[in-house]
Parts: sequence; structure tokens; C-alpha cells
Amino acid sequence: MADASRKVEINCKVNGEARTLQVYPMARLLDVLREELRLTGTKEGCGEGECGACSVLIDNVLVNSCLVPVLQAEGAEIKTIEGIASGEQLHAVQEAFIACGGAQCGICTPGMVIAAVNLLERTPNPSEADIRTGLAGNLCRCTGYMKIFEAVVRACQKQNSEARIQNPE
Amino acid sequence: MQTIGRPVPRKEGRDKVTGQARYVDDLIFPEMLYGATVRSAVARGRIKKISFEGNIPWDEFTIVTAKDIPGENCVALILLDQPYLADEFINHPEEPILLLAHPDKHLLEEARRNVQLEIEPLPAIFTLEDSLNRKEIIWGEDNLFKSYKVEKGNVDEVWQSADFIIEGEYETGAQEQLYIENNGVIAIASPEDGVTVWGSMQCPYYVHKALLKLFGLPEDKIRVVQVETGGGFGGKEEYPSMIAGHAALLSWKSGRPVKIVYDRAEDMASTTKRHPSWTKHRTAVSRDGKLLGMEIDFVIDGGAYATLSAVVLSRGTIHAAGPYSCPNVRIKSRAVATNAPPHGEERFAESNKTSRQKKGMGFASFMHGAGFTGSGEKYLESVVGAEATADGRVRILAASTEIGQGTNTIFAQIAAEALRLDYDSIEVAKPDTGAVPNSGPTVASRTCMIVGKLVESAVLGLKQTLSGSGLLKENYTQEDFRQACRSYIEQHGALKSYSKYKAPPGINWDDEKYEGDAYGAYAWAVYVAEVTIDTVTYEARVDDFVAVQEVGKVIHPILAAGQIEGGVAQAIGYTLFENVVWKDGRMINNQMTNYIIPTAADIPPIRVFFEENPYAYGPAGAKGIGELPMDGAAPAILNAIENATGASINHIPLMPESLIEALGGESG
Amino acid sequence: MFKTFGIRWKEMNSFTYKRAANEAEAIREVADNRSAKFLAGGTNLIDLMKMNVQQPSELVDINRLALKKIESIPTGLRIGALATNSEVANNKLVQEGFPVLSEALLAGASPQLRNMATVGGNLLQRTRCYYFMDTAFPCNKRVPGSGCPAIPGFNRIHAILGASEHCIATHPSDMCVALAALDAVIRVEGPKGARSIAITDFHRLPGDTPEIDTNLQPDELIVSVDLPSSAFAKRSGYLKIRDRAQYAFALVSVAAALDIKNGRIEAARIALGGVAHKPWRSTEAEKVLTGAQSNAQTFKAAAEAALRGAVPQNHNAFKVELAKRAIVRILNDVSGRRVGGAA
Repeated sequence: MADASRKVEINCKVNGEARTLQVYPMARLLDVLREELRLTGTKEGCGEGECGACSVLIDNVLVNSCLVPVLQAEGAEIKTIEGIASGEQLHAVQEAFIACGGAQCGICTPGMVIAAVNLLERTPNPSEADIRTGLAGNLCRCTGYMKIFEAVVRACQKQNSEARIQNPE
Repeated sequence: MQTIGRPVPRKEGRDKVTGQARYVDDLIFPEMLYGATVRSAVARGRIKKISFEGNIPWDEFTIVTAKDIPGENCVALILLDQPYLADEFINHPEEPILLLAHPDKHLLEEARRNVQLEIEPLPAIFTLEDSLNRKEIIWGEDNLFKSYKVEKGNVDEVWQSADFIIEGEYETGAQEQLYIENNGVIAIASPEDGVTVWGSMQCPYYVHKALLKLFGLPEDKIRVVQVETGGGFGGKEEYPSMIAGHAALLSWKSGRPVKIVYDRAEDMASTTKRHPSWTKHRTAVSRDGKLLGMEIDFVIDGGAYATLSAVVLSRGTIHAAGPYSCPNVRIKSRAVATNAPPHGEERFAESNKTSRQKKGMGFASFMHGAGFTGSGEKYLESVVGAEATADGRVRILAASTEIGQGTNTIFAQIAAEALRLDYDSIEVAKPDTGAVPNSGPTVASRTCMIVGKLVESAVLGLKQTLSGSGLLKENYTQEDFRQACRSYIEQHGALKSYSKYKAPPGINWDDEKYEGDAYGAYAWAVYVAEVTIDTVTYEARVDDFVAVQEVGKVIHPILAAGQIEGGVAQAIGYTLFENVVWKDGRMINNQMTNYIIPTAADIPPIRVFFEENPYAYGPAGAKGIGELPMDGAAPAILNAIENATGASINHIPLMPESLIEALGGESG
Repeated sequence: MFKTFGIRWKEMNSFTYKRAANEAEAIREVADNRSAKFLAGGTNLIDLMKMNVQQPSELVDINRLALKKIESIPTGLRIGALATNSEVANNKLVQEGFPVLSEALLAGASPQLRNMATVGGNLLQRTRCYYFMDTAFPCNKRVPGSGCPAIPGFNRIHAILGASEHCIATHPSDMCVALAALDAVIRVEGPKGARSIAITDFHRLPGDTPEIDTNLQPDELIVSVDLPSSAFAKRSGYLKIRDRAQYAFALVSVAAALDIKNGRIEAARIALGGVAHKPWRSTEAEKVLTGAQSNAQTFKAAAEAALRGAVPQNHNAFKVELAKRAIVRILNDVSGRRVGGAA
């Protein structure tokens, strides 16, 4: 039995790095990422699981970190927007968002990029309908989504052509 | 090295896609407190008593009331009617009454719930009708913030000779801007060092002006810095002045930095929305299709205080007759008061039996004036600066904000083009009233056309200085420019140039008669929507959308198209399902679960086309674009629905129940 | 006033948290503390705690219990209470044997929420009534006896069937509507042992105790949902009418299941969502359908029968017509589907 008002120790991996955290068990994963680990790329848009700006991957499953008590992260691998690029090398989705104009004000962008990366991992050749429903949990008020769809398609093409180069048929 | 018209990468794009861009809630200051706002639950009343209850260590809290205000208790904008903190009288639900600050934001929230307000209720009014009928006088002598009357020809004579007279009443609801980043600021304030605020905002100098009055300090003691801003859409035009004032008051009293960031519910319930409106049109038409006369009565609900309603009304009045040639016009418009939170600016807007699915197509042709209305730009006297560094880089100094629409990028493009330099050698300074001149507010589709032009002339000023000193020849390379800058700075210390707004020749406006050239230029557009109406379930879906516009020279094709697509998407939500539900002047569906905006699955393909007809007085020929798409998308969709069903719809949002009513329960 | 800043884990009246190692421990923990709650996906409970709508003194985390399996059993399919909405919706056995369930789950929430939300939690979702969610208003469901502002207020999204003078809230779940059409059985375990509850008996009508959503005892733990195999379950589908294309609660929704032999309806199930305090199984419509010819006339008669007792509020009369139309539409759709080679 843990008193929710007393800190407990949590072990998890964040963006590949093992972390030991002293946290209140019911603290939102979102707050722990932003305040304890200073990973502020994960944004809070609504705090009610509606907008997807706080999307992160827990064991490669896309979730809203505003609804996850940090205790659920015990033993898990968490990936945030800060862990998407490899050093200076941007992920294909990030490059495509810049090239296609997928980011405007940028506040939904980290969550949208994470959702798009996860979508392409699960569905390497998504149809337009797959993209639409796959990103339906990430609200954007700036773009009207067109440039985001274009970015996902462009990233998908790039990934597939790189995969072909690595594994020629 | 032409950059205008090319899709150069967005200046802050890399930071945004990697999560490195810092928004206000991402910033932490040492010793920082969190601030919260205690608000009224009633619409109109008189404060009788405030008490501090519960098991709360109240002595740890900084508490600010109207009595603590060092200067004047009003948010300086157009009129001085709105207080920072209600002192005695309450005029709308969610009106701020008292401020709290504490280092622990969770205890702060608990404390906020334990401030008991005893308020004697007074009769309130919530509808345009009650306000116009003066059921209660709640503002001034007649509830009227502003009215305009525009006359042309003689409307009274056209009705008798007209072949057809078409009449209709149209209603639009409030719309929540729903930027995904909530409002927020951080302030540091003290009598010794003055006031500095960092925040999410569209108009740093509006905040600056408001804080001057609130604290009664000299101009150089107030500094306002815009940080990365997660969307605005008109919703961060005036309200940031309120939040900045609140955070600064708490900091002034506590002596520590104070952060106030709203949560979604507070932001939706308390901040400004698009004005609800009611419009009556009477139009006389001849048999051969000519417009003979129009009489338009247009009323907007401004909420409890004047804020920017006069500006919104003015623009609405001037755009009311649309892009049509008509010899006889009378437009009467009024902005009235109700006991709701004040409404603010938002991207402006005017408003077969055998098949189960009916398809229809509709179009709308319209225009949108770029820049402030009437003499607005003349009074603003906007200034932009440019400075060169010894290594040949050029920095733009302007208070115009990047809120997603691409200010940083297009300013750099305009400067690069004017100087024939690389796009990468241009920087845009962060809007900071301590460092940049007042280039005016980032509103009214003015940033590209008006401010962009000032950017162009400011950087050309740099070049003139260099050529005038004999350091730069007519044809120069990037390297020549760099060496010229270095030599000039070695000799003179600094290289700066400022440019101030001058009205283009032949643009005149009469404030008294309300006639003349209301805008330097208009963007023109035709939008076409294709819809499917399911006559069984009454669901309306937009299948395809084509937006064709003439906006002068397009500076950045991807950013420009993105502006149009985003505006059309907002208009689709506004037309079909964005519905602010009010109870006693209070928004009650202030959750994103219950106020819904379009998702990726709701938006049809939006196909954007530009006709480019360069405007002589815009930068490289560009005009304004930001608000344009909101004007035409809703009418195009409603016309498409009418085309599909034969039902004429005169109010939005158009929910399934409105279609049932309009179609009279036609069976499927 | 406003909710804010997430779970208030540091304040005086803080709650306790326990991760249960097994079912018995979880049940014991909650049985000992009347205001304790089980915590699974948390998509609804955490949001409500944040808004101060619910204030349990203890959370018992059941996420590590072995209740995630989806498996065939002799009578049909057993779905563990902790299976997520995504897992159930994408499960082959569900898609083939009980398509209405997969369709209903995919019609609800967003990808993120479906990844987190569990079957057990979905059964216990609270209403999205604006007044219930905003502690500035009275609400009989939140504070018994305080009044119902929805009845005189704006009630577009509220109930048209089975409401009471104390509460007109609707149940928001899509999944439960599908379960109601599938004769699902909810298996629960409590301090007094295990029992099974038919889905139609699981949720309650508001009556004069609208604060109680279900007939589940507070100390009972949902362990699985059992779906009996049937011919009608195979020919089943879900239609949801809502204001936006994805990720909105239903204005009305219909789960329909038919067993058709030679053009005659042998068995039928109809359940409605968005219209009542519980998933609304319409035995009236089923009576009309059973034994009748599968055609448009029958479907219309069934729709009329289903809504005969409807009592709309001020702002939701349209739901009656919309629900009828939705019933006809989904029956047309389902009756025309190819199922196991036979149309």
C-alpha cells in the first residue's frame, strides 16, 4: 500500500535511457516528463485526453500521457518527441513535416509526429483512410490537416525507398 | 537566389518538429510562484463578501484584489470600461475578482476552491433581443457599444421598381478559437525594476499599453516579450493583456516571478470568442439579374465590455454588402452588450428522393480587406526596424508575432529578396517591446501586406546607407554585402534602419461619413464546396472543397496554402458542428469532449489555387490572406446544402436537427 | 470553479494507492474501503477525479492482473476485463463472430484512448452530461438531491427513453450498446464469490437514485465479458450518428443483429445508444422483427415500435426521428450483408 501523497521509486526507460524516478504515484506521466525530466516537447492541450498534444509511446503503444498515472510506467519503455530523431539526424516524418508545411504554430506537432511515426510503424503503406483515422486523436487547429497528410505520405515514400535500397528484391 | 514564391523551410520548423520550441508553459524561473484567478459564478451582481475558508494555510498565499492595483483598474484598449479585477460590480460570469499565488500549484487549486464569494445577484440579459429592447440597461445609457450607418444612393426608392425582393434573416453562433495552446504568461514585477512579462500572445504592444495604465509606470519600465505561441486565430489579441496584468500584479505583491497558465476549461469559459451575430438582408433585384438595392441590418453581441467590438463591427459593416456592384445600399450595424464574457476578434467571418444521399455544390464569392479598417493604419503609425551585423547578417526588428502563420519566414523572404541575399542570412528578432519597435498588432490580415512592406523598406534603407557611404556597389554578392556591413560598423558603430507606415497614394478615408477606401487592397476569392447530405441520418459531409483566391503575389506557396486550408477547416467546424452552449451567460460545454472541432477524418480534400495579381504597394506585390478563408467557406457549404436539398439554411452551426426541421422530416 | 493541473496528489485529503497482486487482494482492498475504486485504463476515472467529479479515497490498480485474454470458450468468446478497446476491436474472433462489437469500438474515442481504455472500464463509463461534468452546477448524479439543471437547461444530448424527473443523462458507451445486442454476460467476483450479470441487468435506469449507474456492487470486480455464439451475432452491425466523423459521442446509435433464413427473420436483436441512461435494448422492435419477412416495411415497423415510448426533452425531439431512421438504415445494411456465404 502506497500513500499517494508520498513519493515512490519508479524504474523505467525514457528515450532509451534507464531512469529511476522519485515520484508521487498518481502524478500524471505528462507532468513527470515535463517537470521532473524537463522533456517539455510533450505538450498539454486539454488535460482530458481529447487533443493528443501529450501523445507519447509506452512500450510502442500510443497513449495520452495526461491520462496515465506515472506508476503505470514502471518497467516500461517510454518514447517522447525528444527521442524521435537520432542525434542531429531527423526522422523521416520530421523532415517531411518541415518540407510539407505540416507544422504551423507547432503546439500539436510533437504529438502529431509521434502519432505519425507510430502509424507508419504499424502500417507501412497506409491508405488515406488509414492516415485519417490513425491521426484522428490528434487535433490541429492551424493546418486543416492537408499538409500533415502530405507529410505522412512523403515520409512513407522515403522510408519505403530506403527500405528497398537496403533490401533490394 | 530568388526566395519569394519558393517554399523555403519555415524558420522555426526544426525546433517545432523536434519538440525544442519553448512555449510559455515550458519555461521555469527560479523561485517562481503559480497564479490562479478566482472568478464570478454569477452573471451580474454586487460583491458583498469575500471569505477564505477551508483547511488552507492562507498566510502562505499572495492574495491580490482590486485594492492592490498601483495604477488604474482598467484594461486599456479602445474604451476603458473593463476592470482587471471586479471591485464591486460583476458584469459577466467568470469575471476575475481576486488573484492567488503559491509555489505549489496543487495547493493553489485547492485554495481557489475555498475562496467563498458572496454576491448579491442583479438582473442580467443574455440575448441580442433583450439588449436591443433594453430589458435591463447593463452598459452605458443604451447597451450600445457602437453603431455605424453607411448610405449610398437612395435605397428607399428601389423597392417599388424592383422585379424581385429577397429578404432573409441569418444567425451565426459564437465560435471558440480553440488554439491548442492555452493562454499563459510569466511576469516579474517590482516598483524598482518595473514589469516584464513573457507570454503567448498576438500583440505585445497591446499588452504593453495595458500594463502602462495598470501600473502607472513610464514606458521604459514595462517590457513585453512574446514567446513561441501555439495558435491565436484572434483569440490571443486582447485577453493576454488581462492575464499579463494578473500575473504582474501577483509578482508585484509577492516579489517573485509568477506564472499563470490557464487550463482548457478556464480558457474556454473565460476568454473571448467570435461574436454571435444576427443579420437581416433585404435585396432588390431586377429581372435581368442586376442588384438594385440592399438594406442590411447587422447586430453583434459584444458581451459585457466593449473590448474590440467596435473594430469587428466596423469590418463587418464594410464587408456586409459583399463584393457586388450595387448602386443603392444602406447598412446599419450595432454592437450591443449582454452579461456574457466579452467576445473578441477571430479570423473574421460573414457569415433526389430515390437516393439516400443527396449531393450538392455551392459557391461563394467574396473579398476581404487587408490591414486595419478606414484610417486605422494611419493612426497606428507602425514602425519596422532592420539591423545588420558585422558578419553581414540582417535582423528584422518588428513586434509582429509568429503564431503559426509564418511571420518569421515571410519577413525573412521579403528581406532576402529586397537585398538579394540568402534566406539563411536573415533573422527575425523575437518580439520584445524592449528591443523592437511597434509594428502594430498581429491581426486583420495586415502582417504580410502592411508590415511586410515596412520590412522591405527598412532593409532597403540598410542598403541605401551602405551605397550612400560608397561601401556597396550596384551589383553585389553576399560577400560584398558582408564586407560593406563590416566596414560601415567599424566606422559608425552600428547599422540600423527604420521605416514608418505611409498610406499609399490615392487611399483616402472619411471617418465622419464612413466612406472612401476602407482598405488599401482586398483579397478576392471564389470558393466551391461539394457536400453529401444523408437524407436518412441527416448527416452533412463536405466531400470536396476548392478555394481560388487572388491575394497578390504569393510569398510562400506552402505557407499560403496552409493558411487557406486551416481557415477552411475552421469554417467547416463552424458551419457544421462547433456549438457554444450557453447558460446564463456562461459557456457550459467548456470541455473538448463537448465542444468539438474537426479531426483529421472530417476534412475533405481542400484544393487551393492562387491567382497572382501583384499589388503595387505590397511587399513584392503581396496582399493579406489570414482571415480570408473564414469569410467564404461557410456560405459555400450552406449553398451546397441548399443545392442538395432545396432547403435554405439561415443559421449555423447546422446540426442534424436543423436539417430535419428544414427538410420537414422527409423520409429516407 | 475550475478543475486544473491534474490529480491533486499532494493535498490534505489525499488518497491512497495500491497495486493489487491478484484478484482476491484487489477485491479485499476495495471491500474494506467503501470509497475505494479500481483503476484500470483510467481514461474516464482520472479525468473525473481531475475535475473533482469523483473523489475516491483509495485507488486499487488492477492493471497487472491476468485479465487481458481474449479466448474461445465452449459457448462462445470470453473477453478479459482488461483487454483494451484496440485489442478487442482488432481481434479476428471478434471481427468474425461478433462484428457489431468491433464496429462499435472503432466508432468510439480516438486511437490513443482505444489503446488505453479497457472493456471493464468501458462498462463503467460515466455520462458526458455537461452539468454532471461541471461542479459549478447541481447534479443529482453527482450530489444526490441537488437537482437536475439539464431538464430546464440545454438538453440536446440527453435521454428520450427511460429518463426520470431526477436525471436525463445518457450512457456514453458504444461498446455497451453492442454488448446489449449480443446477450453478453458480465462475470464479476466479489467478497461473497463470483456471479454473472446479464448485460441488460448490468446498467440501471435513473429512477430516484441516479447516482447509481449500475447493479455492480462497489466491491465487485469485473473479470470478463462472455459472448454467446449465435447466428445473429455473426450478422450484426453498428451505426453511430454523431456531429463529427470521428471521436464524438453518439447522438443516437444502433446495434442490430439478425438471423435470416430464406428471407425470414428467425431472431433479432436491437439496442440503441445515446438515448437512455443505459444501453437501450428494444424487445419491442425485436418482437416486430422476429418471424417477419426481412424487408423495408418490417424494418420501419420495428423502428416505430422501438421509439413508441420516447419522451423527448426541449432540445432533443430530433433524436426520436433520427433513431428511427438509424434503425431502418442499419437493418437494411445488416440484412444485405454476406455472412458465411449466405446472403
